[in-house]
Amino acid sequence: MTVKNVHVDVLVVGGGIAGMQSALDLADQGYRVALVEKEPSIGGKMIMLSKVFPTLDCCSCITTPKMSAVAHHDNIELLTYCDVQAIGDRPGGGFVIDVVQKPRYVDIDTCTGCRQCEYVCPIDLPSQFDRELGAVRAIRVPFSTAVPQKAFLDIDNCILCGKCQQACPVEAIDFAQQPETFTVEAGAIILATGFELTPAGAKAEYGAGELLNVVDALVMERLLAPTGPYGHVLRPSDGKEPDSIAYVQCAGSRDKTLGVEYCSRVCCMYAIKQAMLLSGALPLADITIYYMDIRTFGKGHEQFYQNAKAMGIEFVKGKVARITEDEDKNPVVRVELIEDGSKVVERAHDLVVLSVGMLPGYNPKSLYGVPVADDGFAAIPAPNIRPSVTPKPGIFVTGAAAGPMDIVDSIVLAGAAAAEAAAYLEEVRTPSPQRAAIEEAVHA
Amino acid sequence: MTLTREEAKQRTAILKQVRDQHQETVDRTRARLKDQQTVRRQICQQLRGGPKIVPEIAEATGLPAHEVLWHITAMKKYDLVVEVGQCGEYYQYAMAKETES
Repeated sequence: MTVKNVHVDVLVVGGGIAGMQSALDLADQGYRVALVEKEPSIGGKMIMLSKVFPTLDCCSCITTPKMSAVAHHDNIELLTYCDVQAIGDRPGGGFVIDVVQKPRYVDIDTCTGCRQCEYVCPIDLPSQFDRELGAVRAIRVPFSTAVPQKAFLDIDNCILCGKCQQACPVEAIDFAQQPETFTVEAGAIILATGFELTPAGAKAEYGAGELLNVVDALVMERLLAPTGPYGHVLRPSDGKEPDSIAYVQCAGSRDKTLGVEYCSRVCCMYAIKQAMLLSGALPLADITIYYMDIRTFGKGHEQFYQNAKAMGIEFVKGKVARITEDEDKNPVVRVELIEDGSKVVERAHDLVVLSVGMLPGYNPKSLYGVPVADDGFAAIPAPNIRPSVTPKPGIFVTGAAAGPMDIVDSIVLAGAAAAEAAAYLEEVRTPSPQRAAIEEAVHA
Repeated sequence: MTLTREEAKQRTAILKQVRDQHQETVDRTRARLKDQQTVRRQICQQLRGGPKIVPEIAEATGLPAHEVLWHITAMKKYDLVVEVGQCGEYYQYAMAKETES
């Protein structure tokens, strides 16, 4: 067993778009970075998406080059399928981080990503990447654009038949692999731990996750993606091409009953984007968006909204009270039509998409000593002037770990976190009185 | 690559050891695989009769339509089933050539 020790300037925790961008921004300036990711591939949630608003760029096409740049950068040590286990202070400044490499049961240096193991594996499992609508095998390359493009074995869902080992042409499969702990020494840490979505069962009024044709917006992203499970937009109950699709806005945000009082900031725009993509994919389908308010505050966002209206997407002002289903499993939406005399109506659709919100994905308090704010995201003492600085000196935050934000804002904050981390490292090396005064003001 | 007898023996021993360590998940997954095979047999039986849409397979087999769709999706991904056009609002699926026997 090889015990490695990694010495870097900055440890970035999380390999989604925010973490990748911070890592690249630091590495391009000559800093040594380690990027630790709990999943077997980097890419985060962004790599699951179909297209991005408001440009409608293909998401794979703009994310994979960054994933690849991270993997091939001389200054970045990529640590996938690893968990941070403990953190201590390094004498003289910085941190000592214990990291566990979870066993992939595949030798990552030998595996060529040919997927022959995957093809002989007999068991099909629901694919988390395809939000359980598609299938994966127990041994697999995580997804088609995964980085690293290497297989791993989900041993908890494996019958250990050994077929993969027989099929592997390069003898990469190693059932004897064990977890390995190693240490990373870093001068600073950037938390890019991302977010989770409102759970499917959160709202009993919306079917508590039991209605097959009520899906969340990330499911729709997969249905719209060229690499999606069906290759078409079909509804999950029976594979029918939907003729009528409705969006329920604020299905998890601005909702006191869920304890989520904030606006998730992305749902209006992703719903409008998906509606536009759907009218391209299914030109005959009726698409309705039930909303409380439409919030399109970003660059080019309002024009995007106006374009959607011009395309014939129906925007209905009204908060959906309840979703049930009829005998054909069509979701039936009960809604008050605010701009139509406050009439309460019930309308059946083929498919309903819940515009679910962004929830905190990880609490950094116990491991990193970074407290969370009332919303559950990392506390940021000076959000206006230093939005990536946490109360803990040397630990910075970026992306949705700091609060709900879109990809553009995640990238901007990633650059800010990288700059703050670099400034912190320089300050530790050569302290300056001006800087000390600013630090004192922020951390007071 | 051909293994020496010794290497093959060692490999089998390791696999057995890991299997013993993961007995519970192995048993659960084996049960899952058995169910999968039963469902697949029913779906394949239907598709041997010619291309079908998901509700037709569901009706003929008594399986829930969403389950049929999931299995068809899985089989399509791993080249066991192919999509052969559209019939109204539904896509039609057929057995892939290689497995048609």
